[in-house]
Amino acid sequence: MKEKADKKVRRRGTALLLSIILIFGVFGTVVYAVSRKISREMSASAIQNLNESLDLIQSTIEAILRSEADFQELIAQDLARMDDPAAYVQSYERSQTMARMSLVLSGQTQGVSNTGEPFTAEDLDFSAGEVAGGLPVSRSYLNYMGTWAYTMKCPVRRDGREIGTLYVEYVYDTIDRFLPKEGFYNQRAALYIMDAQSERFVLKPKGMGQRSAGHLNLTDFYRANNIQEPGIQAEVDGCLKNGEDLLFYHDIRDVQALNYMWAVNGGTIFLVGYVPVEAIQQEGKAVTQNIFIVVAAMLAAFALCVILYYISWRQQERVRREQEEERQVHSRQLAQALQAAQIASSSKTTFLSNMSHDIRTPMNAVLGFTTLLSRDAEDPVKVREYTKKITASGQHLLSLINDILDVSKIESGKVVLSYEAFALSDVVSSVDAIIQPMARAKGQEFRVEASGLRHEFLIGDETRLNQILINLLSNAVKYTPERGHICLRIIGLKQRSSQYEHIRIEVEDDGYGMTPEYLETIFDAFTRAENSTTNKVQGTGLGMAITKSIVELMGGTIEVTSQVDRGSLFRVELELRVQEPVTDRQFWEKRGIARILAVDGDGESRESVRALMEEADVRLSAAAGMEEALALIREEGGFQLVLLDWEALSVPAAQAVRALREALQGPVPVLFLAEHEAEGLGEALSMGGVRVLTKPFFVAALREKVSELWGDDGEEERGTEDDMDLAGLHFLAAEDNEINAEILAELLELEGASCEIVENGRLAVERFQRSRPGEFDAILMDVQMPVMNGHDAARAIRALDRADAGTIPIIAMTANAFAEDEKAALNAGMDAHVAKPLDVELLKKVVRQRIEGEETQ
Amino acid sequence: MRQCGKRRWAALLLAALTALALSSCAGSEDPKNLITREEETKRVVNLFSPMEKTTPGAENVARTAADLTIAMAEERLGVTVDYWTYTAEDYQDRTYDEVALDRARNNMDDLYLLNPDTVLALGAEGKLMDLSGLDSAKNLREIIRVANTVDGKLVAIPQEVVAYGLFVNVDLFKQYGLDLPNTPEEFLECCRVFQENGIETPIGANRWWLETFVFAQAYAGLYNGGNTEAEIKALNSGQARYSDYMRPGFEFLQTLIDRGYVDAEKALVSEAIEAEGPDFLAGKTPIVMAYWGAANTETAYGKTDFEMQVIGFPSSRGQMPVMPMTGWAVGAQAEHAEDAMRVMEVITSDEALQLFSETNRVISPSKNVKVDCVPALRPLNDRIEEGVYVLGSNAGMNVEQWGNTCLIVRQLLGGATVDQCMEAFDALQDAALAG
Repeated sequence: MKEKADKKVRRRGTALLLSIILIFGVFGTVVYAVSRKISREMSASAIQNLNESLDLIQSTIEAILRSEADFQELIAQDLARMDDPAAYVQSYERSQTMARMSLVLSGQTQGVSNTGEPFTAEDLDFSAGEVAGGLPVSRSYLNYMGTWAYTMKCPVRRDGREIGTLYVEYVYDTIDRFLPKEGFYNQRAALYIMDAQSERFVLKPKGMGQRSAGHLNLTDFYRANNIQEPGIQAEVDGCLKNGEDLLFYHDIRDVQALNYMWAVNGGTIFLVGYVPVEAIQQEGKAVTQNIFIVVAAMLAAFALCVILYYISWRQQERVRREQEEERQVHSRQLAQALQAAQIASSSKTTFLSNMSHDIRTPMNAVLGFTTLLSRDAEDPVKVREYTKKITASGQHLLSLINDILDVSKIESGKVVLSYEAFALSDVVSSVDAIIQPMARAKGQEFRVEASGLRHEFLIGDETRLNQILINLLSNAVKYTPERGHICLRIIGLKQRSSQYEHIRIEVEDDGYGMTPEYLETIFDAFTRAENSTTNKVQGTGLGMAITKSIVELMGGTIEVTSQVDRGSLFRVELELRVQEPVTDRQFWEKRGIARILAVDGDGESRESVRALMEEADVRLSAAAGMEEALALIREEGGFQLVLLDWEALSVPAAQAVRALREALQGPVPVLFLAEHEAEGLGEALSMGGVRVLTKPFFVAALREKVSELWGDDGEEERGTEDDMDLAGLHFLAAEDNEINAEILAELLELEGASCEIVENGRLAVERFQRSRPGEFDAILMDVQMPVMNGHDAARAIRALDRADAGTIPIIAMTANAFAEDEKAALNAGMDAHVAKPLDVELLKKVVRQRIEGEETQ
Repeated sequence: MRQCGKRRWAALLLAALTALALSSCAGSEDPKNLITREEETKRVVNLFSPMEKTTPGAENVARTAADLTIAMAEERLGVTVDYWTYTAEDYQDRTYDEVALDRARNNMDDLYLLNPDTVLALGAEGKLMDLSGLDSAKNLREIIRVANTVDGKLVAIPQEVVAYGLFVNVDLFKQYGLDLPNTPEEFLECCRVFQENGIETPIGANRWWLETFVFAQAYAGLYNGGNTEAEIKALNSGQARYSDYMRPGFEFLQTLIDRGYVDAEKALVSEAIEAEGPDFLAGKTPIVMAYWGAANTETAYGKTDFEMQVIGFPSSRGQMPVMPMTGWAVGAQAEHAEDAMRVMEVITSDEALQLFSETNRVISPSKNVKVDCVPALRPLNDRIEEGVYVLGSNAGMNVEQWGNTCLIVRQLLGGATVDQCMEAFDALQDAALAG
């Protein structure tokens, strides 16, 4: 498209250039033609001009000759009338025109002259027969004055009889006086007067050297001016012979000139010379120059216009291109946006479709079983079964809603991590507790491994970490066929800072795997791998997006590798702050545990145990097998607890226990490190003082088992369990929704508790204000209520001037289930936060904790 | 912003063009006489001088040098100098000197460039103005002043000291193992060797300048013997005979003619340089004679393909330059005498002579002007600087030398004997003594 546009632009540019060239070409041709025409006309004009000038000079000279002849005839007539003509001649005064006057009387060879010297006509050559004004003219000669002259003779007739001949000598200098005063063409032209017979120059320009070279005769003139072409010479000869005029172009000293030979007096005299063309065409030259100036100005103006147009065009073109580019960018962005929107729309459509399906399915179950429940209300077994299924469906529905809300929050950037101290073992065990049954249900093997960990008591958002693990693992379970294998590995990596435990969580399965295309979008929201194998799997398609967002929120990374039908490997890396080491020496001292013997065939595992136990302030000795263990006992003795890796045993467990106890000389408690499905421990477990510690090893889990073995915590736990019911408690509940209020009331009643429900915060405050001290054990407070919300009500209660106003437990019970909601509730003075839908067990736990806390206080 | 600027410029340009167009349309001419009146006060000085035949494209340096000084005068004085020129077409034609005499006698011109004999003739006739009053005359070398003084009047001032010498092709001399000749004997020996080696006519000659051989031998002793004035006085009084001085030179010429070293017949009808020049330039003729300026002028011998030197003429006192005095003169009854004198003042001033000498690389008549000469002229220049030379003309002698000797040498060329030539000299001297 762009290329096409460029081509178009180039074509336009070329067309423009060609047009300009064409215009210039046409213009140039016109100018050339006009200048040629002008040149021709000027040339013709120059020739005409010179013609006229030479004609004028010719006429002048001929007029002079005629007048001289006339003058001579008049003198002859006068002489004829005189008695003594010789005396008259002798006395005749010389003039500028007439250099000498002589008279030779008939019959004599010598005559008289007005110069006083005797005159003879012998030296005069009239043989050529040249005539001027009817009188014979002699060949030109240098006269006694040293200048060129000619003589005319005229018969003196008296009474029809010739009595003598009058000779009058005229000098050519006379003609000079009638030539242009400022020189021929302002002295730029050369004008010689040539005697035709002798071809001598008898009158020359009066400049020399730098101004003009003088020449003797025609031959010298042509030689000096390099006019030697035979053709011209032939023309010159013909011209001389026939007394014709000749005009031709020939360069004189590298300047174009018009050369001429102009016959005067029938060819007795010639005007010879040249005129530089530019001397004739001075005006023409000026005109030409002006024309060129005008043309140049026009061309310049045209060029300027073209340049301006070009600049403007370029500018427009640039703007157009920019606009085009902008438009293209917009189009691209729009297209991308459209595509994204389409994808999003498609994803969301798919999502909605999935949601519709996924929500309707449990909803259908809830409603279906509710119907069944009403029908079989009399059958307690069925009722329990149905309610169990309704609960499961409700839980699933709840998880769907949680996911959707999570995505929504993450997308809007509202997720806040809640940092708290936690034990990695708790995370592992809770995850294991959830995933293991799921895996088992599908006949899958689920293993948990831990290695390289240095710290298990960390600070972080345990809930979110759980969420990550559960998301990854539940996906693994979902997308792994039956009898598949799933492994969760928690690996301690090299610490970058002693303050942080750098862990890698790997979730590996040998399930369906994913295509590379799907891998690219796996972390996008609203996507779900679908094919004939997996489309029976239910899910929101949000899990991975949520997981990635949480990992990134924690400053970690998540990556996945997968191959179709080979399985997938998710790898999460996180850095979690390490808790301040808390010496729990007391725990061990109380139970008399100072030394523990760990028997583990796996060196790595041994190291892991040793690393984790460093914080426990208990001396740990490790042995790779039974023999080594027994040797250690023999050498060192004094172990109060033995950790025995069941897999490292080469003998039956019970035998091993016995051997150890024998060596230790007492019923030392033994903890078997084993997987869930460890079999063959039955006998050993029945021996007493023997328990199973599920792998992987964690100190917290160890402590629990130790407590169990020592029998102290068991009582506490039991006591707690007993105290967990709500029987006998009386609550004040603020709940505006009648159904919820009813459910709450029923649930509490089921637990043996009672409650008084008010419709809003204001009523709750008032009711509490009116209550007797100790009337209510706790206040259950909805948050979003008319008149007064839960927060304000809590603040108002706390502000009451009553002894128990500050101590009565107020528990937020709201559908606002996020961390910040919890925080807001606590800030408002409430003691705890229980999210709706109501989890009775959780409520019981929270209520019991708060009431106990109040009692303690 | 940029576009706005461009628009402003375009608007300004258009405004300027419009203003230009309007202004070109406007304007009216006052009604007045369009004929330019000629300068009534145009002053003209007529100058008569010879011209040289030019070759196409050649720079006529000698003429240019003189022209430069004339142009200087025109510029300084506001006059126009009109050139009237003449050069004989051939030997049958009237000579420049003859025409100059006629023109001066008929007051045809104001300024004349004259040869020594013409200067003396016209000076004696009183046809030339006394120039001794000019400031430039005070700068003249004494020898120049003496040579141009007639009847106590300084009648001509030259722009250059014209020295004649022998122009020799040094390459040919070297080729035949010859030294440049000093004496007549040595010169004859050189000619013999050249002739024996196939150069039949070793000397290129014309009808004008063979007399230089005569002058060199005739007056080498007179001008360089320390008794010049007394000897001239003796000649003027008739106690000594010009023929006695001239005889050795004529006999020497006769020998050259007899041995075929000079083609007398050809020389008699040959114009200067025109005839002998081409062969000399072509390296066919080893020796020619010419004036100083010919060595600087491309139209003469200013550019040769061989090593050329200019030496003095052979004499008993060694190589001898011969110096006739060509000079500018003003007609006594010149129409524009006053302006002509002013022009003379300018063109013979030290400034003009400096310009002339630098242009032509010649010896200046002014004692204040010194210019280096071209290498070829050094031998001749050295002799002149030493004060060793012979005058070709001397206004102090009562028989004009340059012109008369030239004519008598032509007689020799024409077949007259040496004795007949000497008789001619005696006749001239007798006439002078009688006059």
